[in-house]
Amino acid sequence: MTVWSRLRPYVMVAPSIAVFSIFFIYPIFYMIFLSFYNWDFINPVKEFVGFNNFVEMFQNSEFLQVLTNSLNYTILSVSLSIVISLGLAMWLNREGAWYGFVQGALFSPHIISLVSVSLVWMWLMDPKFGLLNAILEMFGMQKLDWLSSPDSSLLSLVLVAVWKGVGYNALIFIAGLQSIPKDMYEASALDEANRWRTFYKITLPMLSPTLFFLIIINLIGSFQVFETIAIMTNGGPVNSTNTLVFYIYEYGFRYFKIGYASAAGVVLLLVVGLLTLVYFKLLSRRVHYQ
Amino acid sequence: MKKIGSILLATTLALTLTACGSSNSSANQEVTPSGSGSTGSAKKPIEITYWYSWGDKIAENNENLVKMFNESQDEVIVKAEYQGSYADQHSKAQAAFAAGNAPEVWQNEIASVGIFAESGMTQELTAFVEKDQMDMKDFIPGLMGNSYVNDKLYALPYLRSTPILYLNRTMIKEAGLDPAGPKNWQEFEEYARKLTIKDQRYGISMPIDIWYYEGFVRQSGGTMISEDGKSAAFNNATGIDPVKLWLKMKDEGIMNIGTTDDAGAQAKTDFHNQRSAMMFSSTADLTNNMKVAEEQGFELGTTFMPANHTYGVPTGGANLVMTSGLSPEKQEAAWKFIKWMTSKEQTIYASSYTGYLPSRVSAVESDEMKKLYEEKPLFKVAVDQLEYAGPRPMQKVYPEIAKIIKDEILRAVVDSSITAEAAVSEAAKKADALLNK
Repeated sequence: MTVWSRLRPYVMVAPSIAVFSIFFIYPIFYMIFLSFYNWDFINPVKEFVGFNNFVEMFQNSEFLQVLTNSLNYTILSVSLSIVISLGLAMWLNREGAWYGFVQGALFSPHIISLVSVSLVWMWLMDPKFGLLNAILEMFGMQKLDWLSSPDSSLLSLVLVAVWKGVGYNALIFIAGLQSIPKDMYEASALDEANRWRTFYKITLPMLSPTLFFLIIINLIGSFQVFETIAIMTNGGPVNSTNTLVFYIYEYGFRYFKIGYASAAGVVLLLVVGLLTLVYFKLLSRRVHYQ
Repeated sequence: MKKIGSILLATTLALTLTACGSSNSSANQEVTPSGSGSTGSAKKPIEITYWYSWGDKIAENNENLVKMFNESQDEVIVKAEYQGSYADQHSKAQAAFAAGNAPEVWQNEIASVGIFAESGMTQELTAFVEKDQMDMKDFIPGLMGNSYVNDKLYALPYLRSTPILYLNRTMIKEAGLDPAGPKNWQEFEEYARKLTIKDQRYGISMPIDIWYYEGFVRQSGGTMISEDGKSAAFNNATGIDPVKLWLKMKDEGIMNIGTTDDAGAQAKTDFHNQRSAMMFSSTADLTNNMKVAEEQGFELGTTFMPANHTYGVPTGGANLVMTSGLSPEKQEAAWKFIKWMTSKEQTIYASSYTGYLPSRVSAVESDEMKKLYEEKPLFKVAVDQLEYAGPRPMQKVYPEIAKIIKDEILRAVVDSSITAEAAVSEAAKKADALLNK
């Protein structure tokens, strides 16, 4: 009986641990293992090459561009998305049919499949016949190249990501805003604090757990962007939108270099792991939990 | 307030769902079972799976043939499954093979035959051919260059193509040009110039595509990879001249070079909507282009890709392969299917249904095809052009090299400070590094 009561928790968590091990832990270690080999997935012989894949990767100018692209994409899309959705949340956090409608409209991109979204945006961004350029022209502005130029292609993808993500972020922010006790605002109103001060001293600190959560999931999500790239650009033109996950896919499943792809996967793992760690270490101390 | 929001959500959802539902491909039309005699064995039929790529007419052709095969005998049942583009099919097959459930029969884009044969994913077919005493000489020799790997047979020609030059003859006649189309690069340039109407239409709209580049290099008398497979062979006039021509025509505004990922589809749309007068595309698009031309009310023409020093095109399309490591029964079943699919009657059916090349000499010379060529001479252009066709490179690293070449040429397209020479030599340098590893 006592044995059972001791064992019981382990038995209870065993299924989820098993799933976790098979689909997360094992693949991670297998990937790290593969990154030291040359292998095409099929051939029974794996050729051990030590750190060669990593050396080759960091000497490859294409890979360095891919890393820069990923960083630029992540920083731009996360910061834009967070700032815009916070602004929207502050504006939408009130009663009224109109605000409910806007909130619904903003949230709707979140539930549409990313594949359809990508296809529609490709039409909108068509440099010659797309709606966006037609609108720009109507207002007498210069047409943009959108996806067809390496200078603007990554920004165009950021635009899609922000449009897609803002609604969800705003929704979470609104929930966060509504949980801030009203009496704090009443107190600051009595003290005649201006709006900026109220925002900086009350709203932001009280919202910090939400902000922290959103920044982390947005960061990780952005670093793993794949669908929009696979559908809209395939990494082009001239590698300007090739990011880490797409690069891994390209090498693993198009060029059949699974060792090299695994090495890139290890880099992705390290970057995402490091980001999370930095956030938990540094920022969690400044996050205010009630 | 909440109501409006949820109505909105529901509408969006409904719209998304209908949009997805309407894209199902239509298949199984015009089935004419061919009676190749069934044996009355009471054995349970063996089931095998067959993967194919591409939709529309090509998918219909695949589904129809499989249905005909299933009805023609009762020993083997083939299940046909659509798998997207060639690249999609290849990566899925690779993953499926690693997991031990690859399809028994599938397609190899011809440049990929080498990769899969060398990695041991596909079955050598020599023994089957010898056992059945199949007449290999009946396959058109120009199409066999991507069937042998290290002198062993791994794949049989199935849906094969070459690029051809499609023409809008209505526009060409309006411009007072010879409706036969341009014969060489000078004429090609001249045609494009005269057919361009500023801000309204281009002479030609095209993507930077490795397949067309291989053609232009061949027309200049060059090849992509050296004989020994150890170095790039295009870093000279044969590889630079094509890029020079493209850049010149693009700068003059008579050629529209798409830089987006869907540039290939864009070029087709431009041609279909009469925003361009010419386009390079596969013969496989022939029946579809004929249909569009009729709907849009213009006269369609086809001709060889223009010559530089000589005519020249790469071949393309897919060969059929068998997965390695199957049980003897499955091997027999798979072979039976491959043999049937690549035989004379079926190649005639596939060719007239889609515009793909007939892959057998006996098919080209058959009465059915002769009659078709008489009625619709456009079908014949690609067959005649085969005389100048060659195989595609099959090196394991070629897909990577193809991407490098495309990227370097595109770099020169978007950045006018990069010359054709610089772009090609950079691509060759990177290709050499890959080939020498």
